[in-house]
Amino acid sequence: MTIIKKLFEKREITALMFLIFLFLGVSLRNPDFINAQSISTVLKGSVLYIFLAVGMTFVLLTGGIDVSVGAILGISAAISATMIRDGSSVILSVALAITIGLIIGLINGIGVAVVKVPPIIMTLGTLGIIRGIMIIYTNGRWVENLPDSFKMASQASFGPLNVYFLLAVITVILVQLYFSKTKKGKYFAAIGDNIEGSVLVGIPVNKMIIIAYAISGLCASIAGVIFTSQVGFVTSNTGLDIEMVAIAACVLGGVSLSGGIGSVVGASIGAIIMTAINSALIFLKVPSFWNKFIQGLLLIIIVVSDVMIHKCFQEKARKQRLSARSESTKDTVIENDLPEESIFLGGNEQ
Amino acid sequence: MNRLKELKGKWELSLVLFLIIEVLIFGMINPRFFKINVLMNSANDFVTVAIIALFMSLVIIVGGIDISMGSVVGLTSVVMGLLWQELGLNIWIALSIAIAVGALCGAFNGYLVAYIGVQAMVATLGTSFLYAGMSLVIIGFSGISAAEGITGFPDSFRALGHGKPFGIPSSLIIFSTLILIAYIILHKTTYGRRIFLTGINREAAEFSGIKTKLVILSTHVLVGVAAAISGMYITSYLSSSRADHGATLTLSVITAVVLGGTAITGGQGSIIGTALASVIIGLMTLGLQMSGLSTRYVGIGIGILLVVSVAIKSSLGEGNLFSNIKRKLQLGNG
Amino acid sequence: MSEKKSLIKLKEIYKSFDDNEVLKGVSLELSEGEIVAIIGGNGAGKSTLMKIIMGIYPLDRGEIYIGNENVRMNSTSIALEKGIYLVPQEPLLFPNMTVEENVLIGFSQNKTLLREKLRKLIDHLGWDICLTRKAATLSIAEQQLVEILRGLLREAKILILDEPTSTLTFNEIESFFNLMKDLQTKGIGMLYITHRLTEVFEIATDVVILRDGGITVNGPVANFTKKMLIKGLMPDNVEHEETKFDSEKTDYHKDPVLKLESLSGYGFNNVSFSVYAGEILGLAGVVGSGRTELAEAIFGIGEITGGDVLLKGSSIKNYNTKEIVNMGLNYVPEDRHLNGIFDIADVKLNTTSSILSQISKFFLNRKKEQKITQKYIDDFRIKVTGQDQLLKSLSGGNQQKVVIGRTLSSNPQVIILDEPTRGIDAGARGDVYKIIQELKKLGLAILLISSDFEEIHELADRAQVMYHGTNRIELSKEEISMDTLTQAAFGVQ
Repeated sequence: MTIIKKLFEKREITALMFLIFLFLGVSLRNPDFINAQSISTVLKGSVLYIFLAVGMTFVLLTGGIDVSVGAILGISAAISATMIRDGSSVILSVALAITIGLIIGLINGIGVAVVKVPPIIMTLGTLGIIRGIMIIYTNGRWVENLPDSFKMASQASFGPLNVYFLLAVITVILVQLYFSKTKKGKYFAAIGDNIEGSVLVGIPVNKMIIIAYAISGLCASIAGVIFTSQVGFVTSNTGLDIEMVAIAACVLGGVSLSGGIGSVVGASIGAIIMTAINSALIFLKVPSFWNKFIQGLLLIIIVVSDVMIHKCFQEKARKQRLSARSESTKDTVIENDLPEESIFLGGNEQ
Repeated sequence: MNRLKELKGKWELSLVLFLIIEVLIFGMINPRFFKINVLMNSANDFVTVAIIALFMSLVIIVGGIDISMGSVVGLTSVVMGLLWQELGLNIWIALSIAIAVGALCGAFNGYLVAYIGVQAMVATLGTSFLYAGMSLVIIGFSGISAAEGITGFPDSFRALGHGKPFGIPSSLIIFSTLILIAYIILHKTTYGRRIFLTGINREAAEFSGIKTKLVILSTHVLVGVAAAISGMYITSYLSSSRADHGATLTLSVITAVVLGGTAITGGQGSIIGTALASVIIGLMTLGLQMSGLSTRYVGIGIGILLVVSVAIKSSLGEGNLFSNIKRKLQLGNG
Repeated sequence: MSEKKSLIKLKEIYKSFDDNEVLKGVSLELSEGEIVAIIGGNGAGKSTLMKIIMGIYPLDRGEIYIGNENVRMNSTSIALEKGIYLVPQEPLLFPNMTVEENVLIGFSQNKTLLREKLRKLIDHLGWDICLTRKAATLSIAEQQLVEILRGLLREAKILILDEPTSTLTFNEIESFFNLMKDLQTKGIGMLYITHRLTEVFEIATDVVILRDGGITVNGPVANFTKKMLIKGLMPDNVEHEETKFDSEKTDYHKDPVLKLESLSGYGFNNVSFSVYAGEILGLAGVVGSGRTELAEAIFGIGEITGGDVLLKGSSIKNYNTKEIVNMGLNYVPEDRHLNGIFDIADVKLNTTSSILSQISKFFLNRKKEQKITQKYIDDFRIKVTGQDQLLKSLSGGNQQKVVIGRTLSSNPQVIILDEPTRGIDAGARGDVYKIIQELKKLGLAILLISSDFEEIHELADRAQVMYHGTNRIELSKEEISMDTLTQAAFGVQ
């Protein structure tokens, strides 16, 4: 039992194991799935989601949520695509698109931390606003005919790995180091873990929340630029509902929506899983209309088992603790104490 | 002094004021806006959102949220279309089964949230994929073109969306009836009281002998039924059954509920508020169209309304995170 | 006192919340190596004062000097910078982080150096604590140690300890006091909040009594006796007399209304006793002795693993809360804020919340609700502006009266009161006592759970004492005294 418990405490590992089993299982039916080309297709396709999931992790750790990332992705894709098509320098266009993402993120952060609008409302609001602006900006038309050089950048590879994927991996490693090794990196999870405690140890709670949303916006706009380069055109529906995939990826990778728990490594593995499922279905010759259904089913199974396992352990621990109190009259028994509050429970009904 | 009640009263009043100003402004831009027929017909467009929003209020008041309702709209639309076309069922039997499917979808959400203990947001995120996926799978198997959907419904069914008994559009009749039902359920019954009490303090509700799990589950069932009704309406109104009918509803629905004065943290809210907010959003769509502007601006308008209204409310100091924390810290002082 | 270096000095601190003035000009001083005990009843303003010192609440008026510098405390980081550290009553650790992460969070120095420092500190203190454990797995006592480690590693000069012993066992308290003495010799000043008078004489150098937001006693401990402190805690106009209620004879020949037969569950074991109509049975016990778990299990909320509960002769152990309420048993929960009140609902909604289905089947019956609510407002003299006043704007005492009203509205024959006077002021306490007496006269069977032994002493006709989940001892009215209760509750043979 303790092994199971340990494993579930490291959700990155379970997620990774699931990913490996997915590849192995599918390759039993169709060995082509495990060759270099199909794997690299999956990884390439997941870059977008990895960036979104990294940004989302910052926000989720603080106990918030950001549903505006799809819209931010859309508008920065539209801006960068339009500018590049019209002949602006790639660097300038990308820089502008990313700056806009950052600014939107800042606005979200200020709304949540300073004005105290609940995160879901704040980001739902910006989602609507930005989508509207985007449609006006593109006039509802497709942005296409981008220069080939820009599109080809997405095909470039460094050794066996796609350049963008490499960029994503480096980002994930850097962010992971930031979270685990620096003083401020721990603040995000601390805020989601116990906000009163954070205030007490002098964490600048509002500032860190603003930073989290700003980073989420930044990551979403990077994803937008990558989208433009990979796909080569932008429609008014670009990024629609993609926030749901990003949140699902985080949850799959063990990031708790109640805050305080999770890592970017886990979230990224979750993002790769979401992409891998789509590819796997193709290789299994399952019609693609199953994608969404299977993603949803998987998400529910993982979340439900997660909640039930933690509930079970927590309940057991509680009973043990209470029984220990009443069992004997030794004073020492209280030492196996656990605090009352639910810590593991992913689902407390707030 | 009952500050909260005052605020709530004021809130509904300010919604009414806002509505009047909105009508006046659009009317000045385009006098046709003042025509009673035009105003009444606007219900055709916003009723899909309003039906769900009315019952979503119950879910949010009880302390949850449901973001899977857009998918349920699509799923029920597809289920009904297929039962009618492929299995040759009577259209009204197909419709009843579709509504039962909506209730089941809601019940599954409610089960995950109340009995398993999954966070409402997470659970319904998962089921929104699941239900949308189901409709795609059903369509995929039946070999119908997803873009066109199923069409050619009998006139009796189309009357649901297009009929005008006594000169009143059927959408308005559906809307009014559901307002009345939701109002009675939430504000006049002991069940509605249990919804509020559970939303304010679930533990205390348990200690008062309220079966909170059942209360939470049932609100999800109600919103599932509402989503199904909305799905039936839109299928009839657009005369086609498609999987993506509800795809973009979520933002509007939650905006209507929150703009209507329901606290996203649960425990307070009103049906009248939600109904007023739905009309405000609906008329804004119509007004922008008639002013010659594109409906593309609607999203911007809704987004601003949502954020600004909540910001105003939170700056009035009711139930935001930090005041809650402060209150918690104050508990030590009795 | 003047030779020692002053660490912190408060001058005329005022603070109100809404219209409620919590601190009315509090001044006190803490010097190196002093342990100033701050005592006072619930609601006296102790916690508020500490939070002002920590910069969590801004003060309305007054000055704070640290050393000789006038400091504006408007954020916790300032307080931390000035070497002040608060060990809160309920530890505010990060449950998903390890002990080490919890202690080291917020430091900017080199991690390896800090770790070394922490290791040395732990060695020096002689504590046995595993740094890689998650905070979630620690006992409350261990969590408190981690909090103190945090403060020490920050080289805090001023430690604020908010009722640290309330959750500790005897042995733990002893080692905790040794630690405090050790810190004292190092020149650290401590503000020690407590409500246990014996501890004041054991550990403190000075004592301050806060009452209704003002200071009534202030000086070296040696200048005071226990009696003088008790007098300082009492309201001016009330002489400290044991309010003896004339105890009417309970008829013990009738069948008991509530009977526990070797009831066992999680946190309590093999508990048997009976409660008779028209009597108050006191159930004394310290926090963690299993009293609340027992009460919740009877009420259909906790799990029962063995034995039986009989209400008027029939078993209720397989019924849910709603059914139990309808059968004639109701419960006033221990934690009012968590389990008792609906804070953003009004008085009426609160009063009728447990009898909704009794008032009407389907539709609300507002007239009936108003009638019932008004009855309790009048009977209990609940101070409200109207039935539609929100609960969160009532004082603790009035909130508690509403909760008791709600419990009674279901017409129970048995009522379980769990810490009914926790967190309410002296006046309201008297009112609640009167209500309890009235209920007894009406012939209700009352199970009064309390860790306030004076309360049991004052009210109960008989008492059961819980210790480690079992009722060890039954005391008759004559046998009930502070001594007998304390001894039994702490397991002294």
